Amino acid sequence: MAAVEPILRPGFRPRRRGRRGYVRLRAMPIGDRLALGALALVTLLALLGPTLAPHDPLSAAGPANHPPSFTYPLGTDEVGRDMFSRVLTGLQSTWLAAFGVIAAGVLIGGGIGVIAGTLGGWADSVLMRVTDVFLALPPSILAIAVVTAIGPSLFHTLLAVAIFWWPYYARLVRAETRSLVVRPHMVAARLSGAGWWRRLFRHLLPGTFPTVIVAASLDISNLILLLAALSFLGLGAQAPAPELGSMTAAGLSSLLTSWWIPVMPALAIFVLSLVGNLSGDAIRDMVERG
Amino acid sequence: MSVADGHDGGGGTVGLAEPSPGRPAERGDVVAEAKGLDVFLTRDGREGHVLRGIDLEIRAGEIVSLVGESGSGKTMLAMSLLGLLPASASPRVEGKVNVAGVDMIGGDPARLEDVRRRRLGAVFQDPMSSLDPTMRVRGHLREVVDNDGDAIELLRAVGVPDPRRRLRAFPHELSGGLRQRVMIALAIAGEPSLIVADEPTTALDVTVQAQILDLLTRLCAEVGSSLLLVTHDLGVASQIAQRAIVLYGGRIAEEAPIDQLVRAPRHPYPAALLRSRLDIETDPSRPLPSLDGDPPNPGDLPPGCPFAPRCEFARPDCELAPPPLRPSAPDRSDACIRRDELDLRPAEVEVEPWTPPLVDRDHAALRADDLHVSVATGTLWRKHRVDILKGVDLRLDAGECVALVGESGSGKTTLINAVAHLVPASEGNLEVDDPAPQMVFQDAGASLTPWMSIRELIGERLRAGGVPRRERAERVAEVIAEVGLPPWVAAAKPSQLSGGQRQRVAIARAIAVPPRLLLCDEPTSALDVSVAAGILNLLGRLRRRLKLAVVFVTHDIAVARMVADRVAVMYLGRIVECGPAGRVIDAPVHPYTRALISAIPGSRGERIRADGPAPSLFDPPSGCAFHPRCPQAREGCAVRTPADQPESGSQQHWIDCVLAEDGSHDGRG
Repeated sequence: MAAVEPILRPGFRPRRRGRRGYVRLRAMPIGDRLALGALALVTLLALLGPTLAPHDPLSAAGPANHPPSFTYPLGTDEVGRDMFSRVLTGLQSTWLAAFGVIAAGVLIGGGIGVIAGTLGGWADSVLMRVTDVFLALPPSILAIAVVTAIGPSLFHTLLAVAIFWWPYYARLVRAETRSLVVRPHMVAARLSGAGWWRRLFRHLLPGTFPTVIVAASLDISNLILLLAALSFLGLGAQAPAPELGSMTAAGLSSLLTSWWIPVMPALAIFVLSLVGNLSGDAIRDMVERG
Repeated sequence: MSVADGHDGGGGTVGLAEPSPGRPAERGDVVAEAKGLDVFLTRDGREGHVLRGIDLEIRAGEIVSLVGESGSGKTMLAMSLLGLLPASASPRVEGKVNVAGVDMIGGDPARLEDVRRRRLGAVFQDPMSSLDPTMRVRGHLREVVDNDGDAIELLRAVGVPDPRRRLRAFPHELSGGLRQRVMIALAIAGEPSLIVADEPTTALDVTVQAQILDLLTRLCAEVGSSLLLVTHDLGVASQIAQRAIVLYGGRIAEEAPIDQLVRAPRHPYPAALLRSRLDIETDPSRPLPSLDGDPPNPGDLPPGCPFAPRCEFARPDCELAPPPLRPSAPDRSDACIRRDELDLRPAEVEVEPWTPPLVDRDHAALRADDLHVSVATGTLWRKHRVDILKGVDLRLDAGECVALVGESGSGKTTLINAVAHLVPASEGNLEVDDPAPQMVFQDAGASLTPWMSIRELIGERLRAGGVPRRERAERVAEVIAEVGLPPWVAAAKPSQLSGGQRQRVAIARAIAVPPRLLLCDEPTSALDVSVAAGILNLLGRLRRRLKLAVVFVTHDIAVARMVADRVAVMYLGRIVECGPAGRVIDAPVHPYTRALISAIPGSRGERIRADGPAPSLFDPPSGCAFHPRCPQAREGCAVRTPADQPESGSQQHWIDCVLAEDGSHDGRG
């Protein structure tokens, strides 16, 4: 036998090289594929919303209280503004606000979780007890308190919710970090001379991504409902700004005379949270299948 | 139930050289049979043809072994017989499987459930995952017997000491060997017609392995059930089976009485498996004849003989069509088109011997004096420290290889972790030569960061070792070739590689910047025999070329003898015997070493038993830690801690035993 034995004959290729992404998508159930498609569509609509709107969402475009028709697909409201344009614009602020708040939660919570998980010991205990205190208080009530204190506006609402949205992610990332730091690959990285920062950013953090992405995508629908509820209560964007929650609230008085005024924005909220939830499920399935 | 007590008997040990005569195969009724069995499983959206045209027959009272590397389909065949193919892989089955007269494929699920309960028993590799962790042993047993009396009787039959107390234990409170005994108790309880045991001893220490195999054989004989033993190790198979079926790529490669198969295989695959297998007799002075390459993915086999790409005898016509299984004698058949021209009997293989390692006696790569390592345990209020290492002395010269052997819990891994400065020493002195030692882990897959490419993993080591950026790519390619991997591996992620390839990558990373000292923690114990042989050869070659000192942790004495210049035997945190590999293994002196070595399948001489489980580190026995299990223990052993004694005046061979102090051991050295 020669000194250097080749393990594989020339020409042998590994099994799934370069095909993983394709196989994953093809193996995905049709429902999951539809959910992800809907997610992409809603995001696109949210980004393009105002440009697609046929009319100015803030000024009258036709007769007041006009039922859904060919010219006004979702009808017009009590001052004659086009509901379709208002819902599209509202979609943008709600959808992007949800993403923004979640991103803030993931960043703050992830940071705290990673610090607690890697340092361990008393730092872990202190950070996690603080997290527990925040977790014990319901974010919606706290957000209401903060917004009433600093004055209602969409930005203030988002700020208030973002402040209280991180504890969940801190817990999640901390748990994930704890299980990753004891894995042999972290020891191996240390022995091969990788520094602390490199171990953190290359060997540890990427391992928390799948869990966080899944949690965040499932969280979107919660957040949309909460933001809609807050603006329904008058704590979000102020009239006449097109915001799905406040539109539903404002239109409620016309429910019996012109049903489309409150129902259309409410339906949009329903669709958004449904898409968020289903695509979250789809992403979880995808990650679990690996 | 009339089953003998678990601790008696246990006749001579039988090994490869002299296969078991076994009981004459009773030509009884057919208990289980498969006819033209094809199984397709779907994974990642792709359907794989994992079993192809399997014909199999197991008769009453017969012990049949199913042998093959991982991916050969052996577990799936066992699962087909049990009617337990994984539903998540949406199995599609063609052909017939009959067990105890019941169709296991098309049968009514309730009926199958009933057959499994009454006529079949199963023992799996990992008893912890087969037992319900929330259920006490009694709960498990009461599913198969009616009263506690019978349950105790069963536990006694499988050799569980103090069965009355164990009934109340949860699975996690039992040692691995005891858990496996409980599994066996569950399997034999219904006096089944067939027991399927899938790698029942792979996860266990050698001393325990031998006991479990003995137990299975005797119980099957007494209960009158047949046994299907699934294993990757022909050595284990040859110990107890009468007949072996060798699977490769989902097909039967050869089927023969085990003694004939071991003496004169007719298919090149079992022949290669037998050659690459190492045992206590293997010549350590030359590389092992390894079987190169990996088993094929059952999903896409080559068009011809599945073994052809790895077969040294392959001819062009081997690659045309899969060879059919043809009988060559009344009880033998094989699937090789060249069988009549080949002589595959084990013979002296021409392998160039190793050059002797360059040991530099003047430079110590590692020096540990009276090394202690302790861990804190207990609650926040009542903390106390427990010593895992209790005064270890070890010196390793540059270029030398020492094997650390011992059962699990003996402190082998803690010792190399201390050497790598992964755990702090609580007492004693430790000097390790620069540059810092590198380590190769047991689970190569877990030691490679899953989302990083091999190029990045090795490059990281080069960066830390001070290799300039522009030279790294070239060096990565160099070490990948050095460990015998093809160049495309650089771009791959760990999950795209096989177990053997991953271990090679881990070794490549460790030697990318050559250290003075390499620490290996059971690097081959998770690998198939044929793949492990390749890794051992690689390590042997690298350590000679790079003049590495190596500490090699293993629980496998045969491996230790193969790779090491010296062997250190550990027991409960101490080195109890240390000396040249040949002397310690061929003429052990310490009673523990002797028990360890006599438990190896294939070892000659009397069987010395170390009865009972290894004691706990948290509650170590007084005096000599081995005295409760020692067949030669005397009064003083419970009181005095033995000190290192040179064996027969040799300065290189040390024993930690009072027997050596007064020279009263029946030294065979």
